[in-house]
Amino acid sequence: MAIANALVPARDTRALLIKWIVGLLVPIAVFTFIWSGEAIINNALLGLLGLLGVSEISILIQVAIFILIFYATVIALAGYLVAADSGLRGTIELWIDIAVFVLVPLFLVLSQGLIIGLALCAIIWVVYFFARRRVYKALNYTPPTPLLNLKVLDAEQRVEVKNRAIMGSFWFSAALAAVWLIVDLIFYAVGQLPTTLLVWVAIRTLILPVAGYFLGMLAGAVALRRTVAAKNGGNGGNSADGGGGPASRQSQLQVLSTTRFREEAKDLVPNDLPLRSSGAQRFYLILLVAFVLFYPVIDPFLFGFGTNGRLAGYGDAGYYVILALGLNIVVGFAGLLDLGYVAFFAIGAYTWGIFGSTQLTNVLNLAPINPHLLSALFWPMLIVAALVAALFGVLLGAPTLRLRGDYLAIVTLGFGEIVPIVFLELDAYTNGTNGIVGVHSPSFFGIDWSVVTPVPYYYLILALIAFTIFTNVRLRDSRLGRAWIAIREDEIAAASSGVNLVTTKLYAFGTGAFFSGIAGAFHTAKLGGVSPDSFSFGDSVIFLAMVVIGGIGSIPGVIVGALVVYSINQFLLAQLDTIAADPSSVLFAIKNFIITHGIQGFTFGNIRNLVFGVILVVIMIYRPEGLIPSARRRRELRHTEDEGVELGALDVVPGAPGFESEVRVE
Amino acid sequence: MNLTLLIQELVIGLTTGLIYALIALGYTMVYGIIELINFAHGDIFMIGTFICISIFGAFGITNSSSAPTGFNLVGVLVVTLLGSMVLCAVLGVVIERVAYRPLRNAPRLAPLISAIGVSLILEDIGKLWKGITIVPFPQIFPQNTYYIGPVSFSSVDILVFVVAIVLMVALQWMVTSTRIGRAMRAVAQDREAAALMGVNVNRIIAITFLIGAGLAGAAALIWGLKYGNTNFTLGFTLGLFAFTAAVLGGIGNLVGAMLGGVLIGVVEALATLIPDSTNGGFGLPHGGAPWHVAIIFIVLILILVFRPSGLLGQQTPEKV
Repeated sequence: MAIANALVPARDTRALLIKWIVGLLVPIAVFTFIWSGEAIINNALLGLLGLLGVSEISILIQVAIFILIFYATVIALAGYLVAADSGLRGTIELWIDIAVFVLVPLFLVLSQGLIIGLALCAIIWVVYFFARRRVYKALNYTPPTPLLNLKVLDAEQRVEVKNRAIMGSFWFSAALAAVWLIVDLIFYAVGQLPTTLLVWVAIRTLILPVAGYFLGMLAGAVALRRTVAAKNGGNGGNSADGGGGPASRQSQLQVLSTTRFREEAKDLVPNDLPLRSSGAQRFYLILLVAFVLFYPVIDPFLFGFGTNGRLAGYGDAGYYVILALGLNIVVGFAGLLDLGYVAFFAIGAYTWGIFGSTQLTNVLNLAPINPHLLSALFWPMLIVAALVAALFGVLLGAPTLRLRGDYLAIVTLGFGEIVPIVFLELDAYTNGTNGIVGVHSPSFFGIDWSVVTPVPYYYLILALIAFTIFTNVRLRDSRLGRAWIAIREDEIAAASSGVNLVTTKLYAFGTGAFFSGIAGAFHTAKLGGVSPDSFSFGDSVIFLAMVVIGGIGSIPGVIVGALVVYSINQFLLAQLDTIAADPSSVLFAIKNFIITHGIQGFTFGNIRNLVFGVILVVIMIYRPEGLIPSARRRRELRHTEDEGVELGALDVVPGAPGFESEVRVE
Repeated sequence: MNLTLLIQELVIGLTTGLIYALIALGYTMVYGIIELINFAHGDIFMIGTFICISIFGAFGITNSSSAPTGFNLVGVLVVTLLGSMVLCAVLGVVIERVAYRPLRNAPRLAPLISAIGVSLILEDIGKLWKGITIVPFPQIFPQNTYYIGPVSFSSVDILVFVVAIVLMVALQWMVTSTRIGRAMRAVAQDREAAALMGVNVNRIIAITFLIGAGLAGAAALIWGLKYGNTNFTLGFTLGLFAFTAAVLGGIGNLVGAMLGGVLIGVVEALATLIPDSTNGGFGLPHGGAPWHVAIIFIVLILILVFRPSGLLGQQTPEKV
């Protein structure tokens, strides 16, 4: 039988299969059996069958969808990895990597909770990187060059890649099914598994390998798209029509420098480090999106009680992401240092604050607007708030156009100081130091939200973040985005290339402010009020730190930076005292030592800024380009360090083949 | 408006402005030489005020009434001034060594974030040291009031004036007429060329931090003697004004920083004369005082609109 033959691995494929199946099966097993994977499924099934009788059906359906996506993605990922691996890197190396980067976080998050677990992971990772570098140095080990002889795959090899993907997924899911079956039988023997679920166990054991076979075909297609391929598959190789033929693609790759070659090779199949290849990143993205999307329903399974509190915290983290992305337009893309970004946030917040409460109608001596109508008006006002902020962004931008560098920084800083003072002192309109309270919650198709249920806000902020990321990516790649980058790199050169400095800079200020206006209106709506204390220079500094720590100009970097800085500041440092209250923790001992040997009444709350400052300095010293630098900056840093542009800054001599791809703007 | 009141506010503004100017010198020197906004500078000043209180404490002076007199007073003041300057200078150099030197060739914003981090660290050290309340500063210098016509000024004002002017003149002399000063200017102009001419760049940058922080230490003493209190947030507020002063005068320019400091002091003092408009009439809600930060920055923005490089800053031709 053709299928059966296709599933029997050849000798060299067998090693790859073992490498990846073991590598992936262990973390999946940990997730499924030790954490709550199995519990989630069983609860969902029992609930759907009406045996638990308590749960809401919609929640269970969401859980089921999440589980389906999760396992399907992992199975397909296994196939892709087997297909894409070049086999140049060792098996043990990979297993250690998976242990450090997947197993350790799993266990730590499981035992310590999400934020503290991840923080501990970060420390372990840093230690691991350091140790690995030491070990490599001691062993005189240099990683192999990524397949300098990358070949165009012929039809036979392409079939081989596809077969390997199918085998990978099939055998992975078969192994998973087998392990799962054994574990479930044990559970059953101990009496922890309801008898009704045995039917499910049987069905699952049969379905998994079949699903694996088909998902493997999918994974094979993903892998094949990333091979250096003959463009016109049917023509049998005589595709000498210049442009995009395989020969030119190959010579293009060969002519690149090592740096660029490594970068390009990251996208291709076969790949030395398939876990880090852009193909695998697609699968991670699916996992991440599914996780974030269904988080509210799976949170109780993963972390137990307190879902609402956590969701509220993540909602707050969300508007910091929007703020950081907005500031990234001004600072990262256009290179205009803005130290007063909080001003636009304040403007956005007060716009909805004044309109959404009785403040406006009181001041104007009008009858109050019907609360139901007002709640529905949140949606148009979200845009209005953003536009008002953008307008002020342009107004601020206008007088600063002639300023350069840090003169600009101080003017923006000044604006950031003026705006909160105006809101504070014009108390006839803004209620001064007391702030505005009683701002209406938004309503959505007639359903009024309240301040206490965080789930709608969680989805709202997700939607807003998705919108922000989408517009940011599109802006970066647009004509305007390239003009911003040109200004950042060299204003004069940009101007002489026909970039209109005035409008381009004003657009940067306006767009950046637009997003912070959105974040501001959201902030007010979620909080149900505005307080003038939330808009200080310190906040502007935090936003800037998010952008710089994440990696200036890099969209994924800035998102990560925002989340990292927010978690450090709001979760980690805020919890130090709680942890120190537990007599078994290290912090308890440290605290006691400090109190007995020095400072009376010491609490970790007193040194929050100190710890945060130390973290800032340390991150900057060891990673000045940010956690995830943009590709452009990474390349700059690997090249010469001095300012002058010389031919060496380009990998390819102008005119040589491959020059076009070298000077590609991003 | 009353002319006497106006002149009176000008005198107040001049004294405060001179202190701002002393702090601003630190910003402007550091900026001139490595193009870094040293956010930690204001906090060094704050730590300086605490150092002064501790030195006073070592002499047994804990409040204004236990002040010594005559030569003892002069001795205590000189020792405190020198002690504060030296300790602040050391602090400045240490900060440079730990937080800025490793980032000499890093992307431009990395040292800025590092500076912000150091500023947060210093603020919390101040908080741990003296608590979060306002700390009284023993005003041991005699507070005699003198009159020129109806305008009054105190002996402390004279002290501030003398100390600030002497230090500024000394700094100006050092930068323009000594070897180190010449090396500093060379590094500021072109670091690599200076290194090629045999200037030890790292040393010169360290000296710049040393001098700037030392001036902040001096400013700390005269601030305390003049206003009689300090607080761990003082560094931020005064640092902001001082940095604004540096920019206003043309960042990197010493005379400009002095001019900017005085100008900001005067604007701040004059702002308090603006009447309250809550019940109608000309002015701002709640009077000018709560608005003074906003007014300072509006003045700054207006000046920069017409002189984009500050009052005395040179319009550098753009390099191609």
